[in-house]
Amino acid sequence: MANEVSAASAIRAATLEAQFRFKRPGHAAGAFELSVDFQIDSGITILFGPSGSGKSTLLDCIAGLLKPGSARIALNGEILQDSATHIFLSPQQRRLAYLFQSPALFPHLTVEQNVSFGLNNSNEGDREGRVQDLLAAFRVEHLARRRPGQISGGEAQRVALARSLVTSPRALLLDEPLKGLDSELKSAIFDDLRAWNRVRQLPILYVTHQRDEVDALGERVIAIDRGQIIAQGAPHSVLDAPRKKRLAYAAGFENHLSAVVLDVRESDGVMRVRLAGSETELEVPLGYAAAGTRVHIAIRAGDILLAARKPEGLSARNILDGAIDSLDVMGTTVVCRVNAGAMFLVHVTPGALRSLGLVPGQRVWLVIKTHSCHLVEE
Amino acid sequence: MQALWLSLCLAFCVAAILLVVGTPLAYWLSQTRWRGKFLIESVIALPLVLPPTVLGFYLLVVMGTDGPLGKLWTAWFGHTLAFTFAGLIVASVLYSLPFAVQPLVMAFESVDTRLLDAGAILGAGRWRIFRQILLPLSLPGVITAAVLSFAHTLGEFGVVLMVGGNIPGVTRTVSIDIYDHVQSLDYAAANRMAIALVFISFAVLSTIYAVNRRVWSPWPTK
Amino acid sequence: MPARTIVLHIVSVLMLVVCTSASAFAQPKRIRVAAASDLQAAMPEIAKAFEAKTGITVELIFGSSGNFFSQIQNGAPFDLFFSADSEFPANLIQSGRAEPRSAVVYGVGSLVLWMPPSAICDPQAEKWNCLLKPQVSRIAIANPAHAPYGRAAVSALQSAHIYKQVLSKLVFGENISQAAQFAQSGNAQAGILAYSLAHSSAMREGKLWDIPLDSYPPIEQTVVVLKAAKEKSAARDFVLFVTEGPGHALLAQFSLRPASAQTPAGRHK
Repeated sequence: MANEVSAASAIRAATLEAQFRFKRPGHAAGAFELSVDFQIDSGITILFGPSGSGKSTLLDCIAGLLKPGSARIALNGEILQDSATHIFLSPQQRRLAYLFQSPALFPHLTVEQNVSFGLNNSNEGDREGRVQDLLAAFRVEHLARRRPGQISGGEAQRVALARSLVTSPRALLLDEPLKGLDSELKSAIFDDLRAWNRVRQLPILYVTHQRDEVDALGERVIAIDRGQIIAQGAPHSVLDAPRKKRLAYAAGFENHLSAVVLDVRESDGVMRVRLAGSETELEVPLGYAAAGTRVHIAIRAGDILLAARKPEGLSARNILDGAIDSLDVMGTTVVCRVNAGAMFLVHVTPGALRSLGLVPGQRVWLVIKTHSCHLVEE
Repeated sequence: MQALWLSLCLAFCVAAILLVVGTPLAYWLSQTRWRGKFLIESVIALPLVLPPTVLGFYLLVVMGTDGPLGKLWTAWFGHTLAFTFAGLIVASVLYSLPFAVQPLVMAFESVDTRLLDAGAILGAGRWRIFRQILLPLSLPGVITAAVLSFAHTLGEFGVVLMVGGNIPGVTRTVSIDIYDHVQSLDYAAANRMAIALVFISFAVLSTIYAVNRRVWSPWPTK
Repeated sequence: MPARTIVLHIVSVLMLVVCTSASAFAQPKRIRVAAASDLQAAMPEIAKAFEAKTGITVELIFGSSGNFFSQIQNGAPFDLFFSADSEFPANLIQSGRAEPRSAVVYGVGSLVLWMPPSAICDPQAEKWNCLLKPQVSRIAIANPAHAPYGRAAVSALQSAHIYKQVLSKLVFGENISQAAQFAQSGNAQAGILAYSLAHSSAMREGKLWDIPLDSYPPIEQTVVVLKAAKEKSAARDFVLFVTEGPGHALLAQFSLRPASAQTPAGRHK
């Protein structure tokens, strides 16, 4: 136990620093450029962003599969790439683990041979031991003799995980590795991963565009959009108060409204805005905008209350008058489209649908708290 | 039958040489992002387009006693390159080059790059990645390249006639021998040789395709 | 799989060794003779007789004179070149590829108009008119670009003033043998062929007409000894065998008109 503690404290100094610029070759100037500057410590950091934001490219650059310009990438103080001194370690030399979206297992080798692929230099006895340990750790030892074509997707990803860890990597890069797996399988794999890392304390960079994975895994989040890092911090602060429209879309804000600022009340910490194309007004949190400027508001469908009668005595500052346009039952959520000057999406439960007797065309009131309205930039 | 043996030897040697020479070339073509790649591809494909007799004639000029390659060869080995079996090999390698390189390139390109990336990240150098990942997964393409080179060389006529000189026992391949018999109106002999050629070619090809099937099966799909 | 690759490697090495050494066999004394394809019928017999007499092996290679010319210019390892004309040998002497003063006219070629036994027209009777008949849609001649018999055929047609009319019907054999093969197989309904070939066993049954000798320049078939020859004395012996010895009679037997028929025997150029 004492060994583990001292080992852990020694390893706790693990960091991955990366600053670089990467432009996709062959594209017109001004097309996709990835420009980042961040540092992560041991533990799981989520890299979150919509498709095409550059997440996979970022991982490829850290792994050495792509070569960015003006770069400085270091792991635990050791330089992996430095443009100033022309140092560039090949992927073979970096001792990282990188899991792609598909398991990329070698189809012509058995599971056992796949996992032992990274162990070239150790002798026979050690090799077998390590391989067996890892197979057991990810609960795939019973598949050792099978080929990748004979195992399921979930099993393949576990094997891929085991294979990438066999080389005792100093950091882990994971690119949406659990895409397409059901949630039970996912949580099982998450638990295994967390348990495994509790001892080793490696920096882990986990890429995803799915909100539920952030909540399940993340200790820290780096949000990225169109090649730029737009936010870093605890998951809640980054994703529940998104600053960018695209991040808001990705983070699950269903309502996006255009509005014009009418009036700024600094002492109250709010602004009044009018929704584009209607007379409906909203009170939203104070932002950096002057009267007359255009702003975008993002609101979660689950943050809006529906009332069948005009409510009174509520703290909420926004009570909008509208009519139900349509109702769609999607499993355990009912999606209501309500026209209250602009089209709003509201989520209620089937129970609420029944007890309020909601029907299309019915006059309803929407209740929205000021702080449920998030100002986002384009 | 000497001519038949000569042809089989020639086809076999050429296929073997083309695998050795063509593989690195195909590997480079499949991995490079050089913008001038299309130039090399066109040069390699030239023998597909040029008539064999044209190719044969210009090879004769280059490989003959007055030609640059011919002179070099004579300086090194003391005898000519044209009109020898070695000359046939050189000419056939050039003539069948696209039949080896193109299937190889296609086979290499069809391997998922993420598999090669995975190998690199696990610490395998380029040679190990080639040997243990790329090559085993491209094996059907390699076999195709070998078979096509073999078959194409076996059927060669125009190039071999020009560069070889139809010398019995040295450069008189079976295709030329059959032609000679037809020209001297000895159809019986021509037929005998043709049947033997078809029979042997068929045997070789079907063996390769049968064996090839077993090479594919090690990784069955579910 | 490893066992399979080992076997493959062994087989490859074996084949490579066998193949490369096969062509380096020590040969008994032999001469390589490049012969115009109109000699297809006569030469094998002559060669056999010579071998029986001297024990020297004669390797015969038939083809178009023009083709041989190109190959010899580029160093082809023949000992003798029996051309179907006298120009190619002369050019070879000039370019230094053939021994000077070794050119000998070994025979005079002549043209015949040949038609298959089943032809409705008899060339003996109707002569050139056979070619104008509508049933004759293809006429085989050797390629005039490089085959002496082809050139002669064109001259003959021009002398008879029917060249332009039959031009569209002409098909060209790569050499005179191939032209004969076109005619004999029926792919061409008529052929302007070498006298020697028309009298070979396969073509003897056909109907033929000797085209008048004055309608084309004489086909003086000339042989030269090549500088690349390894067995020069054996080569010269063979030339003598053909032009003055028993070969002479054999040539006549196989219907290449001996040189003495038109020109003094053994005329040197």
